[in-house]
Amino acid sequence: MDVELIEIGDFLAAYHPFDMLPPEALETAVASLQSRYARAGKTIITVGDTVEHLYIVRTGALETRDPAGEVLARAGEGEAAGAAALLRGGEAVNTVTAIEDSLIYALPAETFHTLRQRYKQFAYYFQPLGGARLRTGRAVSNQGHGHGQLNLMSIRLGDMLRRPPVTIEPDATIHAAGACMSREGVSCLLVVEGDRAVGILTDRDLRNRVVAKALPYDTPVSQVMTPDPLHLEADDYLFDAMLIMSRHNIRHLPVLRDGALAGVITNTNLVQTQNTSAVYLVGDIYKRDTAEGMRDALTMVPELILQLVETGASAHNIGHVISTLSDAATVRLMALAEQRLGPPPVPYVWLAAGSQGRHEQTARSDQDNCLLLSDAYDPEKHGEYFKTFTRMVCDGLNICGYVYCPGEVMAMTDQWRQPLKVWKTYFSRWIDQPQPKALMHASVFFDMRPIFGNHALFHELRAYVLKKTQSNGIFLAYLASNALSRQPPLGFFRNLVLIKGGEHDNTLDLKHRGIVPIVDLARVYALDAGADAVNTLDRLETARDKGSVSKDGAADLRDAWDFISTMRLRHQALRIRENKKADNYVSVDNLSNFERDQLKDAFSVVKTMQGALATAYQTGRM
Amino acid sequence: MLRHLLGFDMTRRMFWLMAKPGPLRDYYRMDYATLDTAWCEVDYLAIDLETTGLDPTKHEILSFGFVPIRDGAVRLGEARHLLVRPTRPIPEETAVIHGLLDGHLESAPPLDAVLPEVLEALSGRVPVAHYAPVERRFLTAACQSLYGLPLTVPYVDTLRLESRMMERAQRSVVPGTLRLNAARERYGLPRYKAHNAMMDAIAAAELFLAQVDHMGTKKPPRLDELATG
Repeated sequence: MDVELIEIGDFLAAYHPFDMLPPEALETAVASLQSRYARAGKTIITVGDTVEHLYIVRTGALETRDPAGEVLARAGEGEAAGAAALLRGGEAVNTVTAIEDSLIYALPAETFHTLRQRYKQFAYYFQPLGGARLRTGRAVSNQGHGHGQLNLMSIRLGDMLRRPPVTIEPDATIHAAGACMSREGVSCLLVVEGDRAVGILTDRDLRNRVVAKALPYDTPVSQVMTPDPLHLEADDYLFDAMLIMSRHNIRHLPVLRDGALAGVITNTNLVQTQNTSAVYLVGDIYKRDTAEGMRDALTMVPELILQLVETGASAHNIGHVISTLSDAATVRLMALAEQRLGPPPVPYVWLAAGSQGRHEQTARSDQDNCLLLSDAYDPEKHGEYFKTFTRMVCDGLNICGYVYCPGEVMAMTDQWRQPLKVWKTYFSRWIDQPQPKALMHASVFFDMRPIFGNHALFHELRAYVLKKTQSNGIFLAYLASNALSRQPPLGFFRNLVLIKGGEHDNTLDLKHRGIVPIVDLARVYALDAGADAVNTLDRLETARDKGSVSKDGAADLRDAWDFISTMRLRHQALRIRENKKADNYVSVDNLSNFERDQLKDAFSVVKTMQGALATAYQTGRM
Repeated sequence: MLRHLLGFDMTRRMFWLMAKPGPLRDYYRMDYATLDTAWCEVDYLAIDLETTGLDPTKHEILSFGFVPIRDGAVRLGEARHLLVRPTRPIPEETAVIHGLLDGHLESAPPLDAVLPEVLEALSGRVPVAHYAPVERRFLTAACQSLYGLPLTVPYVDTLRLESRMMERAQRSVVPGTLRLNAARERYGLPRYKAHNAMMDAIAAAELFLAQVDHMGTKKPPRLDELATG
């Protein structure tokens, strides 16, 4: 290239993916360029043409349409058209037209393919748009982040099981049990009747309950075992197992898969894994006797988020950990309140709503909660107890940093502290008369999760609600329409639309314009499927299995959620490190071109799925 | 005047016979698109000269910039910028305008070494320039002084085309509206920062493509509708 073509090289280098090419490759690209002109309305590629160039827009805009006339893509300054045809070997299946007077730099197919072969990032950029590209992008950007390490938050218990459990009958002798443990080289036995675990026997039991007490060797196992042991599901996280072990001071935990015994997790499995601080933090919270004490323990949370982000934990897992800390604080405050007020006069269950309910908390947020009481509740007799009780817990949470909910969605609000029958009438009203306010409440309360108390109460309410919503076309249509009220910040030309002016000038609101729309979509799919999942990724998975969202759609949304959430967490972690308040406003200037493109991909997935939902429910008619 | 009597083809044939062996004879030997050819079947060379002034008898060529246009596309990779060593020091105001410092030009080859490359690039191609009289005058004077014959060729003048199109559209042509950048702006073409013969040649080439595209004729225009003698 003549050095004076530098001006054209500079133009290309300002745009992705040319910015990722080394100078010599850029030089080759520029030297092969042709500039062409197309006035508005001129067709550049027609169906059936053999495409021989990639068309890069210098000024103006190009539009790609399918044979049915549907707009597939628009390319503005610095963006390209014709890539899909080139990747197909040149055969054009769509039409490309200039929609403005355009100066176009045409890059010959040969150069295009050479650059793709030599430079991975260049090749990556031109993969088919949307979900598939987002997935590869994640793989590329995750390289060098220390992945592949064991990670408490990403490993499911099922994946940790090394061997099937070693079992014994309850009426076997402890001598036989000891011999079996020694032969198998295990530190515990599961005691089973048929395929049901009725107890667990560990080497510590043999020491403490047999040898120390000099019991005869023919004592049956059932006499010294721990009956009805705590257990977890194969789908639960390693983190959950550590939590239970730490709280109950146990070292072995049976794991069930689909109701059948799958194996045993031991603490030696866990000691090898790092990152135990979250678990210690939970232990610390349980030891505190005042809300102020808990607040001190919780000051560690920002540091923990930083650490988790840096070790490459997924947004899903971080949400799980942070929500679990909130759960722990809530449970501890309730225990303290019960200590002061005495046992509750009627059964109740404390429910977390919103992001805590969904297991999706990030930096500490507002509290969203409510109290579900048994129908035996009599306001005259029991009202005072629960009013004081919920006040103590909500005040305590406020001290801990989970500030009062501005919308008063809290158990201390009379309206949200009600017996089952009243809750049922609430939901009936929201579902039968889906007014905007009702839909807002519905969104918050559909994400409920029991934290502490009588879970059966919650399950009864849940079953009632799901029965009412599943296949309730009218309500779902309203909920769908509500889910479309927040659109991703993507402009006509697939550009990012930034907030202008004010405190957050030139930023993107990742929460309300990125994450909330996905959460809303997942809620509609889940309710349509009658699924009781509340976590967004769980909802997508269940909804996919039940067919209320396509397989690809679910996978794309999952990736989009993960990408946007991770970006938000990184942003918050950086803000925390700089001693600023963790917020949701990301400045685009701080993003690389690569990240911007991925963000656009994520947003376009959301946009596509919103469009599909709008069509499915004909929300335009409402 | 000869070409008005004989037409381009005959004139060029005659010059080929008259020319001594050398670059200009080679140039005239190349077949040339006839004037009734559709514009898109013709090869062009957008060309721009930087000179110390406007009078070829007093002023000198300082640089050539050119870029070929083939099949309706400007071949950026084939663009060239050739500097010429002047025989006299350059007046200061010219040097400032073009950013050509004496230092650069001192090491450049003299005109007789540069012109063959220009003629080679021009052979078989119709020159395109924004306000072509300058290029025409200086090129023909250079050929006359070096090879004893003028350079006779039809030019596409993008300034003339622009003025004609504006008149047809009944738009008033106020001073400045026909300048290269002003004209380019009307077609949505970018403003290039650099000003040298090569970037100006590229700018004129792109303007030419835009103008043809905007003529809105049913059939592609013929060369004689675009070029001027």
